[in-house]
Amino acid sequence: MAAAVGISLSARAAFESFSGAVEFLRGKATHSLLRPAGTMDETVLAELARDPAVEALSPVIERRLRLESGEIVRLLGIDPLLDGNLRPEFVSAVLARGKGRGLEDGMSFLLEDDAVLADAALAERLGLLPGDEIRTVLGRFRVTGVFPNPSGEPFLLIDISHAQVLFGLGGRLDRVDLALNDAPGFLSRWGTGYRLETSVERRAILAQMLRAFRLNLEALSLLALFVGIFLIYNTAMFAVVSRKRDAGILRSLGAYRSEIGAAFLTEILLLGSAGGICGGILGYLLSRILAGEVGGTISDLYFFLRPAPPEWSPWIAAAGALLGGAAAFLGSLRPLIELQRADPVQAASGRVANRTDHRSARRIAVAGFGMIVLSLSLFFIFPTQVYAGLGGAFGFLVGASLFTGLAEVSAYRLLKRGLTRAAGLPGKIAAGNIHLNLGRTAVAVAAFMVALSMSIGLGTMIGSFRRSVERWLDAQISGDFYLSSMDSAEVPVSLYEELRRTPGIAGVDPYRSVLVSYRSTSVYASAVDAAVLQKFTNFRFFSGRAENWDRVRAGEVIVSESFARRFGVGAGETIALEGVHGTETLRVAAVFYDYTSEHGVVMMDRRRFLELFDDPAIDSLGIFFAPGEPRRAEILDGVSRRAKELDLSVFSRDELHANALRVFDATFAVTRSMRFIAVVVAFFGIAGAILTLFLERRREFGIYRALGFSTGQVAGITVLEGLIMGFLSFLLSLGVGTAMAAILIKVINLRSFNWTVFFFPTAVPYVLALATALLAGLGGSLYPIIKAWRTYPQMQIREE
Amino acid sequence: MNAAVRVIDLWKEYTGNGRPGTYALCGANLEVRPGEIVALFGKSGSGKTTLLNLIAGIDRPTRGRVEVDGRDIHALGERERTRWRRKNLGFVFQFFNLLPTLTAFENVFLSLELAGRPDRALVSQALRDLGLDGLGDRYPHELSGGEQQRVAVARAVVKSPRLILADEPTGNLDTQTGGHVLELLSAQCRKLGAAMIVASHAPSSERQADRVLRIVDGVLLP
Repeated sequence: MAAAVGISLSARAAFESFSGAVEFLRGKATHSLLRPAGTMDETVLAELARDPAVEALSPVIERRLRLESGEIVRLLGIDPLLDGNLRPEFVSAVLARGKGRGLEDGMSFLLEDDAVLADAALAERLGLLPGDEIRTVLGRFRVTGVFPNPSGEPFLLIDISHAQVLFGLGGRLDRVDLALNDAPGFLSRWGTGYRLETSVERRAILAQMLRAFRLNLEALSLLALFVGIFLIYNTAMFAVVSRKRDAGILRSLGAYRSEIGAAFLTEILLLGSAGGICGGILGYLLSRILAGEVGGTISDLYFFLRPAPPEWSPWIAAAGALLGGAAAFLGSLRPLIELQRADPVQAASGRVANRTDHRSARRIAVAGFGMIVLSLSLFFIFPTQVYAGLGGAFGFLVGASLFTGLAEVSAYRLLKRGLTRAAGLPGKIAAGNIHLNLGRTAVAVAAFMVALSMSIGLGTMIGSFRRSVERWLDAQISGDFYLSSMDSAEVPVSLYEELRRTPGIAGVDPYRSVLVSYRSTSVYASAVDAAVLQKFTNFRFFSGRAENWDRVRAGEVIVSESFARRFGVGAGETIALEGVHGTETLRVAAVFYDYTSEHGVVMMDRRRFLELFDDPAIDSLGIFFAPGEPRRAEILDGVSRRAKELDLSVFSRDELHANALRVFDATFAVTRSMRFIAVVVAFFGIAGAILTLFLERRREFGIYRALGFSTGQVAGITVLEGLIMGFLSFLLSLGVGTAMAAILIKVINLRSFNWTVFFFPTAVPYVLALATALLAGLGGSLYPIIKAWRTYPQMQIREE
Repeated sequence: MNAAVRVIDLWKEYTGNGRPGTYALCGANLEVRPGEIVALFGKSGSGKTTLLNLIAGIDRPTRGRVEVDGRDIHALGERERTRWRRKNLGFVFQFFNLLPTLTAFENVFLSLELAGRPDRALVSQALRDLGLDGLGDRYPHELSGGEQQRVAVARAVVKSPRLILADEPTGNLDTQTGGHVLELLSAQCRKLGAAMIVASHAPSSERQADRVLRIVDGVLLP
């Protein structure tokens, strides 16, 4: 419950955060004017000011800035004189310090290039007062004041001219925020070469970017809940078994079945609700940690986001109670029915009813088969729908879990023979007990099998994905080293020109990547040097090889697999992008495998990019030495010195790959924790089943002792039962887990993110699953073993 | 006078796993008058408990009828049969079958609650009548075997049932204690004017009974 609530709350906090930030930054602006890609010349302001539709305007530079502590904040460059019409609270903050203290103090924000305003929450958190210094990777800044920020995201404000210098944007802006009185009229004059966006559209764009990420996150949380329901079932079954005698006595005394059922149900619902409340509270605490993780992943992969931890509300506990009660009801249905149907004669006398029900195991398996067929058919009926994929995956798991009983029945003879040979009489008894108690053991094995299968499936998927990314990095990011800014500053074009002419450097790739609009959604447009990449990299294309770059050099584009699948575009077809001169039609030369972004990448030669977007900025430079270059170290040393002068960082290929894989690993941190939680939950299911079996057969154990079994042999029976259940779970998970891996790779991943993950199975997830299964089987037997060891046989035979 | 209990040609067969059935009861016929105490003797497995369970309505016969106050209880629906049981039947088991999570007082009070007459004074009186004064707040595991069985007797008689069934009520007690419990049970039965059937091995049961019957291999001997 805590896992489900924690992930849900943290995801919601993250998504509300960007909504809040967008709204707060909007102020009174109705629209934002941007270029299709990159920055715009500030000379546009004069023309905008003359436009009759413009009531107010404010130029903006918005970038990320890393503090020395490693924290990333948003840095907003504004002109306070113009911005006051749209965001008066900023101007108030700028002028606040100046009240009664002279014009110079009030103008410090404008005059001093290191002057910044901090949002109140950030200032309080860092203990900053006006006049204090804040250290960043781009230098030290002096906080001249604070401003209120209800969005929760950390902000710094700086004068826009200082921001231009800081990020090397001489004379350029990111956007102009506008208050328009006639948007259609304005668009008719500014529609070509510009993009007009409202805050609603901005929110929708950001939300759409996160859609797949959010969906997969919430699907994971449901997995923990699903396994939890098995645990509740086992707990409810345990409660039934331990009080069956009481129920029999009550029936003998004249209690109705419905009264017994109602009493039991009340107890389960109370426990479930109480568990749900605790889970809700724990989940809230967990979400305060996870919000940061989720925000960090989103910032790494999509856009800057620093969500504030979710606020506490009593509704969280209430939701937990409701969810817990519902889960408890669902999980206790079968035990409840079993209790109501219990024969009062046998129950009151303490005798246990015949537990073998092989026919129902077969019936259930048939239902399971039907569910698997239906689930798999969903994949084909809805070949692109991710919800159908998730539903099919879930249905497949449920269907597979229904086979457990039949698997136990089928394996019985082999199991009995093997265990008798290995462990003698205790082994024979243990095999028989598992077989006879299908109602208990099948469910526990099913739950554990599901958890192990998800562990194998997710482990194989993540491993395969990581290997696919490694191969992609080796093929595509194969420069000898790379230069970039740690933050949003650009690499000077002059450095690029300089390095191109440096002897010993065989190629320099000036990489630029911007978000552009395509069919009302966001995709990335990237600029590269096609000739350099053709010579030095090994892009993997759907068809063809390096010859595809010839067409790119001639002005065509290549698109990533995600783009191709998302928009149904293939080699030889055309796409239309909005450029500075209007709509341009581009021919697709080829489709390439890529993991940069699930939204899709359109890659073109830098010359074509400049024609289209007039955006000369460079995000990073890839440097390629000639093979066998003898002066590598010397050249690298010289380039590093130049880079340091320009506040740029130098990364070797291995360092860049390691960074990328670090982001990859962090992205899957939440997924890995869900695997762990599911396994822990299922472990308690196994332990509960073992305990239930033990409780039902206490008299039997006493009889074994009376017959001459040693206490060690009696304990051995319990251990063997635990190990059998664990091992059976593992055996079943081999097939189901591998199938889940295939579903996750070929269906879920493909439909969520539109890219191909290549299958690279390794033994690791399977070995881990086996170890987990055996440890769980052993661990679950611990308490019954201790009980058996401590209890004398006489007391085990007596009724009371 | 109408019989309190009438058993007519009652049979009970246990079947399972495709094997031929075993008859636990073969055509039993019995009449018990109100206020009469009938002792039922037989070895283990002879069918005593089966007969009592069928009369109580907690087991279903293969064939035959059980009439209590002129009504065939197995023709009643489950709910009706349960309602009859909670109001009119007191059951005493060999192994006491007290609810371990309730005190002695609460175990007895439960009987009245189920009967729809939650009268605490009746419970206190019942406990006093059975010599359990001062033990009401003890849990079953804090009582001796004899005390537990007396609580079970109190539970059975406190609602003034028309029929008391006692299945080996002294089977788990020593001779002296068992005799004492049987005396108390019989005294209560006569006080209430209830019919009672006692299945037992103990010779003391014969002394308390108005009539003694034997059951051998499922056949009730006249």
